[in-house]
Amino acid sequence: MKNRLKVLRAERDWSQADLAARLHVSRQTINAIETGKYDPSLPLALKIAKLVGMAVEDVFFLDDQPKSEAPEA
Amino acid sequence: MLIPLLHRRRKAVAEAMKTVKSGTASVAETKRVYGFRLVVAGLMWASIYLLSRGLLELQLPGQSVRVLVALMPVPFFLWFLWRWMEGVARIDELERRIELEALAFAFPICVVLLMTLGLLEIAVPLNPDDWSYRDVWAMMPALYYAGLWRARRRYQ
Repeated sequence: MKNRLKVLRAERDWSQADLAARLHVSRQTINAIETGKYDPSLPLALKIAKLVGMAVEDVFFLDDQPKSEAPEA
Repeated sequence: MLIPLLHRRRKAVAEAMKTVKSGTASVAETKRVYGFRLVVAGLMWASIYLLSRGLLELQLPGQSVRVLVALMPVPFFLWFLWRWMEGVARIDELERRIELEALAFAFPICVVLLMTLGLLEIAVPLNPDDWSYRDVWAMMPALYYAGLWRARRRYQ
């Protein structure tokens, strides 16, 4: 699974630690999600989407999703 | 000197525990509180294990007394295990995944280790001072820590 978390975070001028504190997770968790090493649980993915004010499928998408269907990076 | 220090630390942990239970604590604070509680339970269990081992070396009279002494560390280990599970339930989800992967790494290796040891025991006479269960169990936590190191590296 891929995600746009790094871009969305940068747009809001949040550090990884800021985002981690808002989500009550560790900074390592945010880093692992951003680098694609860890796929978050559904509750955490929903929390992230809610925090950035987007639908969850606009933040996270499948690796094999066609480019036309993938949200803009 | 150690007792007042532990008392102060315990008070600080009790204060932090209130924050953790209220759900407003940071991940680092939660980890610190449960880490401290786990270390205390672990030290208690290890001390009782060493005491039990020492008493058994003294060749105590009466089999029932010896069995009782041998079983002495069990409730302390169960307490340690309870603390561990309590901590795992509270830590953040990546940390929980790392714990799971560490156990998934260590458990099958422990099975292979014990199975091989059992077969070797049949094949050749092994020195019980080196290869009995009383010593081999210590390899299991070592394997868990190896698994923990491996899983942490993976998510770094």
